[in-house]
Amino acid sequence: MKNNSLEKLKKEYMDIPIPQELDFVVKKALKESRSNSTTMAAKGRLRKAAVVAASTAACVAVLTIGVNMSPAFAKTLSKVPIVSSIVKVLTFREYTVDDGTFNANIKVPEISGLKDGKLQSSLNEKYLKENEKLYEQFIADMEDMKQNGGGHLGVDSGYVVKTDTDRILSIGRYVVNIVGSSSTTFKYDTIDKKNEVLITLPSLFKDDSYVDIISENIKEQMKSRHEADDSMIYWVEGVEDEGLVELFEKISKEQNFYINSDGKLVICFDKYDVAPGCMGIQEFVIPTEIISDILVSNEYIK
Amino acid sequence: MSKTDLEEQIAEHVIEFKDRYYRLAYSYVRNADDALDIIQESIYKAFSSLDSLKNPSYIKTWFYRIVVNTSLDFLRKRKKEIVVSEVFLSANDESEYDSYEDFDLKAALDDLPPNYRSIIILRYFEDLKLQEIAEILNENVNTVKTRLYAGLKKLRIKMNDENWEVSK
Repeated sequence: MKNNSLEKLKKEYMDIPIPQELDFVVKKALKESRSNSTTMAAKGRLRKAAVVAASTAACVAVLTIGVNMSPAFAKTLSKVPIVSSIVKVLTFREYTVDDGTFNANIKVPEISGLKDGKLQSSLNEKYLKENEKLYEQFIADMEDMKQNGGGHLGVDSGYVVKTDTDRILSIGRYVVNIVGSSSTTFKYDTIDKKNEVLITLPSLFKDDSYVDIISENIKEQMKSRHEADDSMIYWVEGVEDEGLVELFEKISKEQNFYINSDGKLVICFDKYDVAPGCMGIQEFVIPTEIISDILVSNEYIK
Repeated sequence: MSKTDLEEQIAEHVIEFKDRYYRLAYSYVRNADDALDIIQESIYKAFSSLDSLKNPSYIKTWFYRIVVNTSLDFLRKRKKEIVVSEVFLSANDESEYDSYEDFDLKAALDDLPPNYRSIIILRYFEDLKLQEIAEILNENVNTVKTRLYAGLKKLRIKMNDENWEVSK
């Protein structure tokens, strides 16, 4: 074989088709990172501090497909787990766009049955606002892409009831953005149904020492997951050492979390927060033993 | 230089050369969705690690490095799936093979270990200098040169032509 083979190979390489989404993906990623990084400079790592929670990728996929494919399934999801209790979560409003390659499916949850009307309406208002914003952003992006020759764009948003026991209700709202690739974010609210209060992470603990204790445990979990399977990459010291990414140091005081039905604390990270995007969103179940000394009580976490 | 100026420079650079970075990512993962994912993630990584860019004149090699590393991370993650899918593909998909005139060479290039393949792609397809490739891959120039020769040898390509001179 001769050099012209290499030239042919180069030609083939240069002929790799460039998808029309590329321009959009690049600009959107730039816009997101740049606005993030200016805030980050002032406030530290904002993306981690936001009250955003994650669940497992598998869970999202199944639910997203399920909700899309069958209205009956969606109804089942929103009703069945909570039939027994008075506090309910139902779909309050839906936004849908179906315009060829542009698709949006946004469901707004609504909580009912809480006696504390203030808590209930503030949560419901928050959900509605978030989704209105999401819808407006989608329309703006769609117009932008249409002017630039079209493309594919999708957004899928809805909610899951993650935990529903006599005591605890954890609702997760997810947003899946699809622009060639996809990104998923989860946000959680956990409510004490008996006392009707919104449970925050700091409220569970006696003092701030939980930040370090939980962070150390998560780092250990990351390392042992990586040791068990070297395709599991985390941006943590001892696994990633390229000096190219910001390594995970500690959780934020308001880190995303929920309480699972076993009464265990689950700490969540969005896609790209602590690992490459291909790892998806990440969850870590924190062993209760290591935090039992600093818990305010064992009422929620067992 | 202020941080925003630097951000502006990086943004301009990425927009200008996005096709190149996309092709490079594609050459690793060989499908559009994953390549787009890698570009997106590389941009996030770049902006979250501005401090690792010592000098704005290194934007090119710095960003190439991020794309290469992100692609390799991706391949490592996908390694297990590939073992299955290659068998599946070779048994089920013949359509793509027809379009390659130099299928043997193309396959040989794909079969090279990623660090050898990266060097050939960066040197001959992206026309980068050996020194730049060494910076991107974080290796010394001699290692890069040795691997380049070894890679070419595996491809059984002889370098006679001046234009394809190895050392530049």
